[in-house]
Amino acid sequence: MVALVIALALFFDFTNGFHDTANAMATPIATGAIKPKTAVALAAVLNLVGAFLSTEVAKTVSGGIIKEGSDGIQITPDIIFAGLMGAILWNMITWLKGLPSSSSHALFGGLIGAAIAGIGIHSVNFESLMQKVILPAIFAPVIAGGVAYVCTRLAYALTSRHDPETGSKLTQKRGGFRTGQIFTSSLVALAHGTNDAQKTMGIITLVLIAAGTQAPGSGPQFWVIAACAFAIAIGTYAGGWRIIRTMGSGLTDVKPAQGFAAEASTASAILASSHLGFALSTTQVASGSVIGSGLGRKGTSVRWGTAGRIAVGWLFTLPAAGIVGALTALLVMTGPVGVIIAAVAGTGAVLFMFLHSRKSHVGHHNAVEVEEAGQAVRFRKKKALAASRANKLKGGN
Amino acid sequence: MKWLELVQVAGATLLAAVTVVVLYSVGVRFTAIAGDPEQATPRWMKSLAYACFGLCGLAVLFGLYLIIPYFSK
Repeated sequence: MVALVIALALFFDFTNGFHDTANAMATPIATGAIKPKTAVALAAVLNLVGAFLSTEVAKTVSGGIIKEGSDGIQITPDIIFAGLMGAILWNMITWLKGLPSSSSHALFGGLIGAAIAGIGIHSVNFESLMQKVILPAIFAPVIAGGVAYVCTRLAYALTSRHDPETGSKLTQKRGGFRTGQIFTSSLVALAHGTNDAQKTMGIITLVLIAAGTQAPGSGPQFWVIAACAFAIAIGTYAGGWRIIRTMGSGLTDVKPAQGFAAEASTASAILASSHLGFALSTTQVASGSVIGSGLGRKGTSVRWGTAGRIAVGWLFTLPAAGIVGALTALLVMTGPVGVIIAAVAGTGAVLFMFLHSRKSHVGHHNAVEVEEAGQAVRFRKKKALAASRANKLKGGN
Repeated sequence: MKWLELVQVAGATLLAAVTVVVLYSVGVRFTAIAGDPEQATPRWMKSLAYACFGLCGLAVLFGLYLIIPYFSK
């Protein structure tokens, strides 16, 4: 059972890397700052390095959320198995329905749901859950968005050039930001490794504690860190090929200066949160930054419909995955038959997902999760702007 | 407490991102000025630009240094 859960957790880690490469590396590839192959390799290596940097988030997952050990509450590998299955199944449902959803929140939701159904409501440490998961989940994207807005404004203000005598616009020469994006997107990849790989480390550590092979309250062992780091790096590398195939179809209108500001904010927000052990969704933070930096540019407005859809998916995931996790836990509690049914259903879901993803058309709309956030900000079209100016001139004459 | 930690995250994010973006933007601006073809531009403009990029890189490395537990122990 323990081995099964570890394998499942590592697989979850792999899919996490597979999904999220695009978030870090899509913009520099799109602006031509970096070659796709180099970008993907770089992202994989930095995810690997990032996973080794810190274990704060892993400790939050393994020690903070579900009470274990001394309080007399016994969390079993079966419960964790149910939680993981819940997360994977919920991920598949949202993926098929095209709902933007965070795999990190699905993981927590599944785990909490399984613990409540399997052990009881007293097994969940709600105070820690509130502090380390729910509040950061709500505030981190907002913080990242606000900071990205300020940074975009600053970046544009500092580099806008006017002729001192005539006041007319000079060539802006913001090409330098393209090179800068290589570094900021690398930081995003690093930040992703520090936060997301650690969630899996936390789960595996929790299983080891539950199975009694590790002392409660201790941090992840080295082989666990290494295994998670490699799983996410391999996932990142594998996921990259999908983006390379789809890059021809183009991305949201992201300018290098804007991308630079957004990525700097994303990386700062995730790294600062990881340092304090906040487990948050990297996709949500990146989305917040993209929206914030879009607003920082002149002549933009928010498409509230799209932004609202993102927000709903974002609030919905935790409880929904919790229900799926709870149902799986009830199934698993019925005995070995239930475990087999859950395992078969889970494996079937994963296989179906894999086959479906091979078959379905991969466009930038499903390769890049942040794309959704990019769509939420409406940019004034250059042509429309020119036309309105021309009209004004006509009116003046 | 939790609110203090959130404020810490917000402050650190703002400080780090603004530092990096401002330094890099100033660097980009100096490069642009140094690259103007019509005017005779002083040589130090270019060096100033590189100094800004260098400072920006140092700021990032310093941030990482603060985060990685290996160094702070």
